[in-house]
Parts: sequence; C-alpha cells; structure tokens
Amino acid sequence: MSAAPPASGPETGADLSALIVAIARDADRDAFARLFRHFAPRVKAFLMRGGLSANAAEELAQETLLAVWRKAAYFDPARAAASTWIFTIARNLSIDLKRRERYTGTVDAEALEEAADEASGETILMSAEREARVRAALARLSEEQATIVRLSFFQEKPHSQIAQELGIPLGTAKSRVRLALSRLRTLLEDLK
Amino acid sequence: MSVHSHPGDETLLRHAAGTLPAGPRLLVETHLQGCPACRITLRRFEAVGGALLEAAEPVALASDALARTLARLGPAPTTTGLRAGGARPDHLEAGFAGVATARRGPEGLWLPDGVRLPRPLAARRIGALMPVAPGVRVGRVHVPEDAQSSVFLFQIGPGRAIPRHTHAGTEYTHVICGGFSDPSGHYGPGDLVEADADVDHSPRVDDEGTCVCLAAFEGRPRFHGLLGVVLRPFL
Repeated sequence: MSAAPPASGPETGADLSALIVAIARDADRDAFARLFRHFAPRVKAFLMRGGLSANAAEELAQETLLAVWRKAAYFDPARAAASTWIFTIARNLSIDLKRRERYTGTVDAEALEEAADEASGETILMSAEREARVRAALARLSEEQATIVRLSFFQEKPHSQIAQELGIPLGTAKSRVRLALSRLRTLLEDLK
Repeated sequence: MSVHSHPGDETLLRHAAGTLPAGPRLLVETHLQGCPACRITLRRFEAVGGALLEAAEPVALASDALARTLARLGPAPTTTGLRAGGARPDHLEAGFAGVATARRGPEGLWLPDGVRLPRPLAARRIGALMPVAPGVRVGRVHVPEDAQSSVFLFQIGPGRAIPRHTHAGTEYTHVICGGFSDPSGHYGPGDLVEADADVDHSPRVDDEGTCVCLAAFEGRPRFHGLLGVVLRPFL
C-alpha cells in the first residue's frame, strides 16, 4: 500500500492523484488538507471567473472539496487527472447552485441528483499523464485562440464578450470561435 | 446504431464548461447517451477545464476555511451511502437501444416497440401530448430552471411536415425514433441537429413511420399560421 507522498514543494499531478487515493483508502485527513490547500483557492478563482461572487465561490469551493472527500472512492488515477476530476465536481455543483437560484419549485430532486451522479461518473476522463499534454495543446493555440477558448469556457454569452474583447464584429466572432474550437479539437485528438 | 449528426464543438465545449442552458443541455445529454464519439470529445474538453483549473491564479480563502471544512468532514468516505454506481458506464456503452427509463412516457405519446424515452428525460415532468395540427402532437418538457429556453416533445406522423417556424436563438433537435429530412440532409435516431437563428425551415418526416423528437429552442420559437395560435399557451 502506498501512503500519501511526502509534502515538499509544489504538488505534481501524480502527487495530487495520490492524495485522492489516500483519502479513499485511509480517510487520510492530512492528504485532504494538502489537496484543499492546492485546489480550494484555484476552484474559488475559477468560479469567480465564471461570474460567481467571492462569497459564493468560496462557499462552493469548500463544498467541492467536501464532495471530493465523499466521492474519493470513485476517483481512478489511471483514467483521470485530479484537476479534471475536481473541475467536473465544481462544475456540477455550480450548475446545481444556479438551478436552485433560478427555480425553487418542485422538481424530482432525487432523479436529478442521480442524473448528476451519472454525469460525474462519465467524466472520469483521460489518464493523468495526459494532463501535461492537454496543457501543451493549449499552449499551441495562438494568443487570440487561447482567449477565445477561455472566454467560451467562462462566459454564458461568449460571442458578444469575445467580439467586445477582441474588438471585432459579432459575425466575425462566431466564425473565429468555430475556427478556434475546431483547432483545439484537432490538437486534442492528436493526444493519442 | 450510427449517429450522423452531432452537436457542434462550441455546444460540446459549453456543455463541458457547464455554461450551456438547461434546455439545450438536456438534449446534449440525450445525444451523448447514444454517441461514444461525442463522449470522447466531451472528455477532452473537460480535460481542458482541468488544465484551466490547474492554471488558475489562486484566490485565498478565509484563514479558517480549511479548519471549518475539516470539521465538516464526515466519517471515512466509503462507497456505501453513495448510489450503487460503480457499474454505471454499462448502459452508456450499450448504445441507444439500451438506453431506457423505467418511467412511462407522458400521456398521448406513442413509441414503437423497443423504443423508450431517453434516460435524461426521466427526471423531467412532461405534459400530455396534445394534437396541434393534423398528425402532429406536442408536449412540453418542463425545464423550470431555464427561463430562456423551451423544450418540447414532438410526435409527427409519416410524411407530415414539422410546422414551419423561426426562432430567436439556436434550435436543437434530437431524434428519438423515425426520421426527417430538410434541405441540409436526412436525420435519424440519435442525431442531434443544430439550426441557427436565421433558419426558417419546415422539415418533413419520412413516409415510413412516425417520428418522435425532442426540440429545444433558445429564445422563443415563433410558429407560423394556426399552430402559432394553438401553441401560444405553451410558449
């Protein structure tokens, strides 16, 4: 059995995966604390970029890490990068939050939660060692394309935001988005 | 089953990012259940999300945030208490035919033997399908958390046209059974078709059988003629 890696210096992707495994296997609270210190401030930053207030983002970042504790047994380091797995948990909680804010009537909450759990099961993704290669693919985008990808990720109405940020007409923004995402997909497909 | 028509890159990326509104998201989820290729693209885009998260410039939490979160940790995490989900990918690999829900469809819906409503619809209340034109029945799929979209379940008889309409935003159509053609091509079960705002079209259902499809409109659709009047209470 492997204990959590020793804590020294910045965490690598493999270290972070090992921390989640340590939580699942040993209910290792020290591993949790290290994971929290690494990810909670990043999740908070990420959610704020997506439009949440600092308070809401802080709250949801903590909920995300709590969910990591509860669901750690479902994490498979051979199939997922820690960052991607935690991203999908934060994303799903963020969707839930928006749903609660916009609607307080009765829906079949049980079934919705089940659907969300299944979605997160599906998001067990690419093997951890590919994480660096995804970053490399992103680095090969032009600066404008990287901006487009980021804005497409964070904005609910990305076209108008992209048009504004790049100073181009809306119609041009649409075709640039198409080109940028097509190039991104091609670069990612090359990651066999 | 082979799927020919897929969500665009931008739609899948927005789905991965969690920014797609709930109405279209329901259709994309339905498509993903039957489309391994799009599931792979989605995973790649989610990995982009992971990379963006890792690269985010950290924003400090309150100094006691870790202590408070540690205090809230429950007992040791275990798989009991979580849903028995370990084997969940099975149905996702089973293809469209294996995608089923135990829940019966809404009143007034006809589905051929062996075809069930897609699982993502199981959590949704669907109004009874009402006749709105010869051979055309429509029921509203309730997506109350998304005020900007409307989602309908259409059942359209052989050879019938889907009523002509225009819309302010993108229209997404997912074919559950049967098929239809429009000037851009022919679409069958599992296909998801996106149509831009400026398209004014009237797809025609195959002569061979009834078509059941799910449609999501970003922005309110406007149906021409009498159907517009009939559907108004739904919109």
